[in-house]
Amino acid sequence: MFEVKLPDLGDNAGDEATVSTWHYEEGDEINEGADLVEMTTDKATFNVPSPRRGTLSEIFAEEGDVVKVGEIIAIIEEE
Amino acid sequence: MTQPQRKFPPWIKKRLPASAQAERTREILGRHRLNTVCRSAQCPNIGECFARGTATFMIMGNTCTRSCRFCAVDKGKPEPLQETEPQRLALAASELKLSHIVVTSVTRDDLEDGGASHFAAVIRELRHTTPEATVEVLVPDFQGNAESIHTVLDAGPDVFNHNVETVPSLYPKVRPEANYDVSLRVLSIAKGLRPDILTKSGLMVGLGERRDEVENVMKDLIKSKCDILTIGQYLRPSPQHLPVAEFIEPAEFERFRESGRLMGFKAVASAPFVRSSYNAHEVNKEAQA
Repeated sequence: MFEVKLPDLGDNAGDEATVSTWHYEEGDEINEGADLVEMTTDKATFNVPSPRRGTLSEIFAEEGDVVKVGEIIAIIEEE
Repeated sequence: MTQPQRKFPPWIKKRLPASAQAERTREILGRHRLNTVCRSAQCPNIGECFARGTATFMIMGNTCTRSCRFCAVDKGKPEPLQETEPQRLALAASELKLSHIVVTSVTRDDLEDGGASHFAAVIRELRHTTPEATVEVLVPDFQGNAESIHTVLDAGPDVFNHNVETVPSLYPKVRPEANYDVSLRVLSIAKGLRPDILTKSGLMVGLGERRDEVENVMKDLIKSKCDILTIGQYLRPSPQHLPVAEFIEPAEFERFRESGRLMGFKAVASAPFVRSSYNAHEVNKEAQA
């Protein structure tokens, strides 16, 4: 089980981003490095790649939610 | 019309690299207690640059004496200079195996020489510790003080960069404590003192300037014998900063690039995500070709 955290997007520590689009749904298989979720900060839109290969078992932040850097946004079950 | 919050055109999109190198870069910078403009200015290129092992060091603290309305760096009473900073920076540059090192600073109007001697100490330390690397400095205007400019150049950087940042008509709104003519003069003085050192300047677009104003700035920079030009999209760091007036399309950046080359710049980097030190190594190689 791997916890996917919102990475540092260039903002100062403690800053946040808004979830704009999940490219995968719960239950989907995902490859390491594939675009997992699109986030927006005050400066730009970012595609966040999947840090692991496996099954996207849980998504904790819905589209439109604001999440902080370091917050767990999803769980990937590794094979 | 003001910029709607967190709405961007499709070309204002970055991909975060999934890379262990980015973590390593962060670790090295943190261990040597160094600031980078990448973090302090919330640069959108940070993931990409850190993954390549590049970073732009920001010296003389994390607090600026000026309150420019586009910039995310903290404003206020600056910290005292740290004598060990040049050594720590050189060690980090060496650990990061940088082949081109960019050093910038907050503006330090509180120091008599504006921090020029600290810049010089950093350049000398880099020459000693990483003799094979090229060094680019991105300096404040030193309030146009020729002696300060001389102090920096005397330490022998490869590139002397000072940004005009925007067109003169927007200075009161964007850089209220700066002066366009002083910035141009900084570049001319530098070229006059050391014609062998490349000079570089840049501006942000999308703040509400007209196209002909951008072209006029380019002409002024050519008159000031500036060698390298950078143009990028202004992106608002927070809702407290100036809003983006316009997202300039990539084709327009390409037109700026072509027109800059025709005017005689040795190298022009012009694209939405271009920042002053973005891809600096390649841009400088182009200027030297």
